[in-house]
This record gives sequence, C-alpha cells and structure tokens, in this order.
Amino acid sequence: MSTIDTSAQTTSFSPALSEARRRSPSFATVLKWILAVCIAIVAVFPIWWMFNVVFSEPGVPISINPRLYPTSLGAGLNNILIIFTETDYLRAYYVSVMYTLLTIAGILLFSSMAAFEFAQFEFPGKKLLFGIVMLSLMVPTAVTIIPTYLLTVQLGWLNTMQGLIVPGLASAFGLFMLIQFMKNIPSEMIEAARLDGANHFQIYWHVALPLSKNALITLAILTFMKTWGNYIWPLIVAPSPHMYTVGQVVGLFNAPYSHTTVDIVMTANLLAAVPPLVFFLIFQRQIVEGIAHSGTKG
Amino acid sequence: MSSKTTRSIAHYLMLSPFMLLFAVFFLYPIVSGFFYSFFEWNAAQSSQFVGLANYTKVFTSRSFEKATWNLLVYVSITVPLGIFVALGLALLVDSFSGFWAKFFRSAFFIPVVMPLFLAATIWRWIYAPNFGLMNTVLSWFGMPSVQFLTDTGTMLYAMIAVDIWVSAGFNMVILLAGLKNVPRHYYEAARLDGASTFQQIVHVTLPSIRPVLFFVITYGLISALQVFDIPWLLTGSSFAEYGGRANTLLFPVMDMMGRGFGSVRFGQASAYGFMLTILIVCVTAVMFALRKRFGDA
Repeated sequence: MSTIDTSAQTTSFSPALSEARRRSPSFATVLKWILAVCIAIVAVFPIWWMFNVVFSEPGVPISINPRLYPTSLGAGLNNILIIFTETDYLRAYYVSVMYTLLTIAGILLFSSMAAFEFAQFEFPGKKLLFGIVMLSLMVPTAVTIIPTYLLTVQLGWLNTMQGLIVPGLASAFGLFMLIQFMKNIPSEMIEAARLDGANHFQIYWHVALPLSKNALITLAILTFMKTWGNYIWPLIVAPSPHMYTVGQVVGLFNAPYSHTTVDIVMTANLLAAVPPLVFFLIFQRQIVEGIAHSGTKG
Repeated sequence: MSSKTTRSIAHYLMLSPFMLLFAVFFLYPIVSGFFYSFFEWNAAQSSQFVGLANYTKVFTSRSFEKATWNLLVYVSITVPLGIFVALGLALLVDSFSGFWAKFFRSAFFIPVVMPLFLAATIWRWIYAPNFGLMNTVLSWFGMPSVQFLTDTGTMLYAMIAVDIWVSAGFNMVILLAGLKNVPRHYYEAARLDGASTFQQIVHVTLPSIRPVLFFVITYGLISALQVFDIPWLLTGSSFAEYGGRANTLLFPVMDMMGRGFGSVRFGQASAYGFMLTILIVCVTAVMFALRKRFGDA
C-alpha cells in the first residue's frame, strides 16, 4: 500500500516539475514584460501627469509634490470652475463641438451619397470624376490651404461657422472608404427595392445607408478625431476670439506672454482631451480597425 | 431610353453636393493658388503680375534655406526612427496573446487619440525648465537641468520625441494588421530550419508585410514633410513668433504660413505651397515606383 503510494507520488512529481519549468518565465519573457510595461508607462504617463497637475493643490512646489498622482479633488474642480467662468473656454468648447458635429454630419451625408453612386452604378463620366477625386488624395494640404483661405475671405466667411466647416466637407478620404464598403452591397437588393417602387434617393436612404452602418460609424469617429484635433484651419479662418476653437485657446495659453499658470493651462488641455479619450474608450475597436483597414487596403 | 436618361440625372443629382463642394473648395483653390503665385498680392495694393519673382524670392530667402535644411534633418530621423519604434511595438504586442495583447495595444495606442496640439502643449510643460517633469526627473539623478526647447542642440530631438510619442501607436496598429496576415506556417517552417527569432523577423516577417511597410513609410513621409502643429506649438505659437531660437524648429509649412499671415505676402506663400507640393508629389511618386518594383509580398 505504502509502496504504491510513493511510486504514485514520484510519477506525478516529474510532470509537475516539467510543468513548473515550462511555466517559469525565461529571461527573454521577463525582459519582454519589463519592456512592455515601461513603454506603456511612457505612453500613458504624460496624459496621467496632465490630470495630476489639474487635481493638485496649486502652488505646491514640484520638489514637494512632483504630481505623480492626484492629491486634491477640490483643487481640480476649482480649476475647471475658473476656466469656465474667467476665460471664454466654454464658448470655445461650444464652437469646437459644433464645428466637429456639423463636419461629421456633412461628410457622412455628402460622401455617402457620392459613394453610393460610384460603388453601385455606371453612368457617363464616372471614370473621369472618380479619377479626379482619387488624384486629390495625393495633393497635400499645403498647396490648398492659402488659396482656400483667400476664397473663404472672398465669400465673407471669415470668423463664421460655415467658413470653418464647409471647405472641409469634400473629403476624398471618406468617399474612398465608403466606396470600398458600398461595393459589397449586393445589387440584387437594390434591384429588389426598385421593383418595390422605391425611387433612387429612397434606395440610398433605406437600403444603402443602413447596410453601411459600420463604415459610417468608423468614418464618423475618424472625422471626429481629425476635426477636433484640427489646429491649422481654425487658426487662420477663425482668428476672432468669439470663434476660437479649443485648439486655439490651448495654443494661445502657450504663447510666451499669456501669463497663464500651469494649472489653468493643464485644465484647458485636460478638457480638450476628454472628448477624444471618451471616444477612444467607447469606440476603441472601430478606431483601431478603421486605421488598420486604411493602411492595409488603401 | 428615357428612363435611362432620368436615371442618369438621378445619379448626377446624388453626386452633385459632393462634386460641387469638391470643385469649389478643392479644385478651384489649386488653380487660383497657381495664379496667385505669379502675382504680388496684398491687401493694400491691387495685384500685380511679377512672373517668377515670388518663386525666386522664396527660393533665395534665408528662412527657406533654414526651413528646408531643418526639414531634411527632421524627416531623415523621424520617419525611419518612428517606423522602427512602431514595428518594435507591433512585434511586442504580437508576442502577447489574449488580454495582455489587447491591453498593451490599447496602452501604446492612447497617445494617438490626443490631438497634435495637445501632444505639443503637454510636452511643452513636461520639457519646461522649472516646473517640467523631465527636469525634475533629471534632478533626482543629480543631473543639471536641460533647456529642451530653447537649447538649439536639443530642440529638434525634443520635438522628434513628441512626434514619435504621438504617432508610433498609429503606425503600430497598421503594422499589427499586417503581422496578423502573415501565415503562421511560414514561422513554423523557418523554426524547423533553425531560424532564430531575429532571423524570423528579418526573413519572414519583414518581407511578408512589405505592402503595409510601404504604406506606413509613404504616409509618414507625406505627413512629416508637412509638419506644422507640433513645432508651431513647441515654439512661439503665434504669427508674431514661431520657429524657436535661431529658427531651429522652423519648417516649410510654418514658413509659408508666416509669409501669408504674418507678413501678408500671399503671392509668396502660394509659390511656397507649390514648391512644397512638387517636393511631396515627387517623394510620393518615388515611393509608388519603389512599391511597384519591390512592394508585392
């Protein structure tokens, strides 16, 4: 009885040992983890630090509180209150939100309408139009920004919402992305809708759009990131304070003689970072896949 | 026949909003910008044809020379280094699986969602001489403080660090998608042949993701050649002051914008834009030619 017992023990011992050896991380694995964690810290820490500066007692020297973690909720809320009441940040926030939302709506509507035609139908002149639009993907913003600005001035759109939004609506990138997606809509579905008596616009609205929901969401998110982060266009086309965007206010606080304390600057930064961060937390999959897709298929 | 015509009209009606906007706010500006570049053009006097004077003025100016040189140095560091880092991150993430792969991918990607203007302003304070995090950390190790954004020897590298911080995750995600498409049995075959991890990367991974690499390099070049937000916001951040000490962080788009909006010389700015565009189109064309030749996996 006892001999069987020990033999059972020794036999079970050796697989356990090899299991342990297999589980025990090699030097390379440890190194890999250390590296990954360090890079993650470098990636995330600047954003975390910005948060900490806002949520810390102001005026405490950095030697005493190096802002490695938040220390005061009250100070942070106070900073946010100050920036909303004593500067025009709330107005800038409103401008940025409107600018972003209307740009998204416009790009989604106009490029999906055009993409529907390019993806599903044949008509005279299609190749030429498509070629011109695709060529534009190669033209850098550097060449269009000054003449587009001058055109906006001629239209009397300086410091207006339409001046901010309308020149950016013809997005060849969005069109291209939606064409790729809408090509996969089976033409039988469109024929069926036509036989049911739907007119051309109704087919687009009731058949093509609902089927392209995923692509539209991805385009909306990418447009959001691009528009919210657009600095150069608002800088020149909306130079008057009542049309400042969040980006411009953040930029102004940077100017050498702005006399703004670091707490206030970081509060402005933090509030500007909140929408993209929230979007990222909700739509991470779509953002990552949208970017990956544009790289591997585009 | 008539139903075909009405259908064609419907097609054009659907296309018209996009095409109209595209013609007015994209095609027309390119053409008008080309005309402006041959005129002395400012608010005070009516425009006057000056031939190629704007081009020669830009081309012979000191700031153009400085900006172009800066651009050359910047692009030749930031593009290869950025892609090297992104590739490293992609391989690192790819070596994990399940939860931790997703976790590290998200962590490395977070800077990408920061608008460039924010990346620049956050790092501006990290680099700050007194309050800044960098100098605090340096002082912990007893090192003297560094004037990251005013010392002409460090400014460019400080900027490239911001650049890579904010863009590495973007390229990583694209490269990761490429890595996922490499058939696993390629690696198994290489391993059976006794290839080390490094050899597998060089001989299996890199050749298999060539198309994706080409995209990342081309896109990286095009955006680096037009760099504006980060150097602008790391220096004076206004049309009265930009480029930093000794114009160390002056780049062509900044110079162009400064000529247009700082000194109201839109003719020169338009000429500048065209010269820059020619450069970018040439670089893109070279990349496409290279891709055609070597890019197919």
